[in-house]
Amino acid sequence: MHPRFLLLAVLAFAGLISNALAAEPDPAAKTPIPSAGPNSPPTAPPVAATPDQLPYVYTKWKHFTVADGLPNDHIFAVKADGNRVWVGTDDGLALIDKKTAKVVRVWKEKDGLPWRVVTGIEVDPKTGDVWLGLFGRGLARLSGGRFDHYHQLNSGLVNDVVYAIAMEKDNVWAATTAGSSRYNTKTKEWAVFTEKNAPMEEIWNYNVAYNPATDKIHLAVWGSGILEFDCQKDREQKGDPWKVYLDPDGEMEIDLYRDDGVIHVITTGVSPVKDVFWVSSYFGCCRYDGRHWRGFYAHETGLPSDFTNNVRARSVDECWFAHDKGVGVIADFPTDTVVSYTRDPQTLRGVAQVYRSGKLLKAVDMPEAVPQNFAIYIDHDGNDTWVATGKGLGWAIGEGYYPGLKTDPAWLAGAQKTGETSVTVNAQ
Amino acid sequence: MRQTAAYLFPSVSRWLLPLLALLVPGVWGAEAYRQPVYVGSKACGECHEGQAMGDQLTLWLHSRHAKAYTSLAKPEAKQIAKWSGIPMEPQESAMCLGCHATASQAEPWERDDAFSLRQGVQCEMCHGPGSEYMDEEVMMDREAAMLAGLKMPTKEDCLNCHAEKGSHRIVLGPSDFDLDKAWQAIAHPTPQDWKLETLQPPDPPRAQQPGPAHTGVAVCAECHAGAAWGYQYSKWQASPHADAYATLGTAKARELAAAAGVTGDPRTSMQCLKCHATAYHQPAAEVLDTYALHEGVSCEACHGAGSDHADDAAQKKAGEPLAVHLQKTTEQTCAACHENAHGKPFDYAAAVAAIAHPKIPPEIVAELRYKTPLNLALHPDGRELYVTCEAAHSVIVLDTATRTKVAEIPVGGQPMDVCFSPDGRRAFVTNRLDDSLSVIDVGSRQVVATLAVGDEPHGVLTDQAGKLLYVLNTATEDISVIDTGTLEEVKRLSASRGPWALAMSPDGSRICITNMFSRFVEPRTPSISEVTILDTERAIVDDRPTLPGTNLLQGVAWHPSGKFALVTLLRTKNVVPMTRVSQGWTITNGLGIVWPDGKTDQALLDEPGMCFPDPAAVAITPDGRLALVTSSTSDRIAVVDVAKLIGLVEAVSEDDRQHVLPNHLGQASKFVVGEIATLRSPRDIAITPDSRTAYVANALDDSVSVIDLAELKLGERIDLGGPREMTKVRYGENLFHDAKITFRRQFACHSCHPDGHVDGITYDTEPDGIGVDPVDNKTLRGILDTAPFKWSGKNPSFSRQCGPRLSAFFTRLEPFTPEQLAALDLYVCTIQRPPNRYRPVGAALTEAQRRGKAFFERTRANDGRVIPVNNRCVTCHFPPLYTDRRMHDVGTKMALDTESKFDVPHLNNIYDSAPYLHNGAAPTLEEIWTVFNRQDKHGVTNDMTKDQLNDLIEYLKTL
Repeated sequence: MHPRFLLLAVLAFAGLISNALAAEPDPAAKTPIPSAGPNSPPTAPPVAATPDQLPYVYTKWKHFTVADGLPNDHIFAVKADGNRVWVGTDDGLALIDKKTAKVVRVWKEKDGLPWRVVTGIEVDPKTGDVWLGLFGRGLARLSGGRFDHYHQLNSGLVNDVVYAIAMEKDNVWAATTAGSSRYNTKTKEWAVFTEKNAPMEEIWNYNVAYNPATDKIHLAVWGSGILEFDCQKDREQKGDPWKVYLDPDGEMEIDLYRDDGVIHVITTGVSPVKDVFWVSSYFGCCRYDGRHWRGFYAHETGLPSDFTNNVRARSVDECWFAHDKGVGVIADFPTDTVVSYTRDPQTLRGVAQVYRSGKLLKAVDMPEAVPQNFAIYIDHDGNDTWVATGKGLGWAIGEGYYPGLKTDPAWLAGAQKTGETSVTVNAQ
Repeated sequence: MRQTAAYLFPSVSRWLLPLLALLVPGVWGAEAYRQPVYVGSKACGECHEGQAMGDQLTLWLHSRHAKAYTSLAKPEAKQIAKWSGIPMEPQESAMCLGCHATASQAEPWERDDAFSLRQGVQCEMCHGPGSEYMDEEVMMDREAAMLAGLKMPTKEDCLNCHAEKGSHRIVLGPSDFDLDKAWQAIAHPTPQDWKLETLQPPDPPRAQQPGPAHTGVAVCAECHAGAAWGYQYSKWQASPHADAYATLGTAKARELAAAAGVTGDPRTSMQCLKCHATAYHQPAAEVLDTYALHEGVSCEACHGAGSDHADDAAQKKAGEPLAVHLQKTTEQTCAACHENAHGKPFDYAAAVAAIAHPKIPPEIVAELRYKTPLNLALHPDGRELYVTCEAAHSVIVLDTATRTKVAEIPVGGQPMDVCFSPDGRRAFVTNRLDDSLSVIDVGSRQVVATLAVGDEPHGVLTDQAGKLLYVLNTATEDISVIDTGTLEEVKRLSASRGPWALAMSPDGSRICITNMFSRFVEPRTPSISEVTILDTERAIVDDRPTLPGTNLLQGVAWHPSGKFALVTLLRTKNVVPMTRVSQGWTITNGLGIVWPDGKTDQALLDEPGMCFPDPAAVAITPDGRLALVTSSTSDRIAVVDVAKLIGLVEAVSEDDRQHVLPNHLGQASKFVVGEIATLRSPRDIAITPDSRTAYVANALDDSVSVIDLAELKLGERIDLGGPREMTKVRYGENLFHDAKITFRRQFACHSCHPDGHVDGITYDTEPDGIGVDPVDNKTLRGILDTAPFKWSGKNPSFSRQCGPRLSAFFTRLEPFTPEQLAALDLYVCTIQRPPNRYRPVGAALTEAQRRGKAFFERTRANDGRVIPVNNRCVTCHFPPLYTDRRMHDVGTKMALDTESKFDVPHLNNIYDSAPYLHNGAAPTLEEIWTVFNRQDKHGVTNDMTKDQLNDLIEYLKTL
């Protein structure tokens, strides 16, 4: 790893932890506007939309904190599985029953959880087993109430610092600080992917996601962009399964030529859906449709920040980003429509702002939005969305959710107009 | 616990190690992926032949080593293989070839084209594959040659193969092997004044006309070897013809040659070679590289050059007639060389008889095959009973009306369990040896499909709708869920260790699964076994209740009320020293009660004066009144009044339920209301829906018994058609499964070695000292040739292991008689090692396994250090058994150990006998090195990166 990256990584992770523990972040200065490069591919212009065509805005939120029974307020992972919502925290695992909106079960180390910090959660759709990434202690499988612990001393796991996990058919993938591991739950075989056998310029794997539509694994590697692993090619041993997506601008923190590749090689997350994948980095976010890249900066889109901890796509046109200053949503990609969700540090009320091509269309004041502006992780759950933050878990309840845009949407109908573009929603 | 830098700081080690490697130029990474190739004796002989080099090739040709492969064609070899638990041709068995051939463990690419495995124990068996050191320049410098891989074995290294093996002793009698004499016999010293003077035989004569070329005997052997061809190759190699060239290197040959006017070495004389080497006898158009001069008089000497014939054969499918035939031999063919050769008379008829090699496969002697019924299932209409017969590899169909055997359906190897689809049209049978499931069409009584499942499948059951089938994979510790429509496995669920049997709740919503082995527990703490509960609606694991202090959970049955399930259990007192048997101090046996909320209870079936050893199965009458439990090693069925049992546990305090009842020997009389004596070794039991009749599979009586439940008496015996004769092995099997050997029938051999395998727990046995030296139980599968036994290596033979010592320290009763002991020994010898699941016979290694093999055999660490010979994996874990059968200190002495040296365990099928190390301290193979190899004494491993260790483990699993 390049020493500069190492320093950045340390600073970034220190920031993640300190922000998670601290109060609201300060407003950030905007970064300079990048210029489009002469050789960059053409970016499709936004589809025109009228100002009254608005995306869905989540105005109903419910928060879960220690007061509601969570073992800890620092939430690192959340995974919805039907009516069961698994929550990974800094000190334990929790299970929320959506039907009752209660925390129904908590596991700490004394309850058999192999390690307190849960940074990744995936549910095997076939077996129902819950796989947990443990920050510094490997992997755990919760099956029928029993925890099985896999770590680098008792298994083939490459490293115990697990950031994220993904299920790919019978395989569990773990993104770790020293490469990725793949464990076949059927054959019990481990495979390790590092710089020795994968095109990893760095081995700090921050995120992993599986796209069943393309049968590909995507790895977000800190300092190595996005790696794509073709599972079918690997199974059939037909050619090199790897494909690399890097930032042609190299390690620079500004985008010299926009939309020419991954927005930055220091990626933190990747979320594929159909033939598109979305990427988060500490220096902005981007989307790739197989031909065109599109970068998203806060100053030109309305996203709360460029410093992005994670990403979760809902569709090829809608994607949510967990920023250090709130949650940003590309709500309708074709029209360049964005919604940001933040918590007002003064009033502690929730704020949703709707932008189109960076222009504010609507500001919505509401009792609650995200529990804290330092968002760490996101999971979609049908029309609902779960947001893990540095201080609590937010449940965005998607009653009447619709994709894309609508004129005079229902969420706006009961709102009280308080300014040219601002409204207040009080109903809960 | 010490952790290596490579594990803890991989990214640092990733820079650091290459950096260090740069400081040691030329060594980084080279060793790990060195890929030496076996070149064969012909290549060695190019230099190591001739008087100036001590006639080394000739000496080898005259040795028994050169005939080692051929010796596997003898009938005795088959007998030895049988006693080694090897159910195949010795010449095809990796285990036999491991000591009877060179490079038998190597992949094809590791053998040069000119190398032939059939040349027996060649130079490279002891000196290592030669490709890396064979160059003249390298070989002239011993040190350089050794750095390149040349091994110079010590006398003791011979014992890796020549230490007496039990199987050989049984067949051949006590070994007369004398290491000193043997070392002398094969001595092939290089003369002090050696000179590299390569023998220069003349070129073989060439035919004037175009025609076939000489291929050499190795090419002929591609077809003409093995049992199907009457061992033709081996018959040749055992004949003097195969020694014809070697004889030219003897003093007598030189004398005869001189007398005949030959000057120089006879091996370079056309006159001598004409009758002592194939290519010189009959001129051919060409001589191929596959031909070796030292093969003497081989096939083509009589049958003519064979390249066209071989090419024709290679292009044809097996059995297709060939267009190109070899020349016919006549008396003149032989007479050309043998007539008055060296003044000796020649009797053609006698000579032809002596070298006769007809293509007649050896006669196969049909062996007695018992049935060994294990499990049974009643057809939904109640008219037929299907019985799995482990030893016969079949399912026997009984007519329940006539109580007779009406059919026997061959299925896969070692069928274990059977169930029917709810409509009764199909039966499903698990085959433990083959890792498969047989699907039987009940109407036609034919196997209509066979599908692969996990390793060593045991229990099998469909859900209530018959849509999903659950198969318990005992060795892979998981559950295959199979769509009965498509017969495809749709998912694999995680069980506990050794899932064994399963039963469905009356409403069909849940399935209760027993697991044979305890979960892994901290050292010197009691076992804790799991019952796995499935939710059949979602086909997932729903709950995992545990039974503290128990192991070997086997039988399971739901009560018709659905309120609980009963499981059979053992409570092995392995944490306390095994110093007494009475009062349940070694093993107690009982029933577990599993409640829907996950709570469990236990009650013992033992009485203070008489135990109920090895409860194997339980069945509950449809009216819910009685539970029948089989004791497979005391030939009894306990009749349990279920209401009394439940009443007993519910009447006591919670504390008593947890701590008193599970150990209370005085309670069985309160709920066991009867006892039914059975025939030998009752296993599974099934009850008819009308609650009138029960059927019991008597494993060692080859029968099914009928029990009248009104009378609670043993009724009719339905004979399954096994042999009447009791062989010595079968007698031994009976003894193995008989608790009569133990004081108050507390346990049998089977109790700790269920079906010859392991129980997965660690014991503190008295012979080693009380409170010290806990030892992990070892499998008996394929164990015969791995003597000495015990981790302390103190028992040189089974007779010692199972003789009076067993009586004094374990069973506390009269020891086995010599006859019994001999029979028991024979039975244990025949317990087969299942086929390796990670490398099927003949399969190539995977890339990871191949890389792992390089690490197993490596001689240098990642940083270029030479690993001392005694600290290399392959030195102590020498193939084919992967043990040198000696004691070594590998730094694993722990707190309770009094000794630091332990017997080297064999590594065959090492994946199926966790936990590892002498005291079972390592639940996984990884921990042997990541946790317990701090000083790099158990091989040098602390330099290895995680992926390298993973590769090594992948390879170990293939052995």
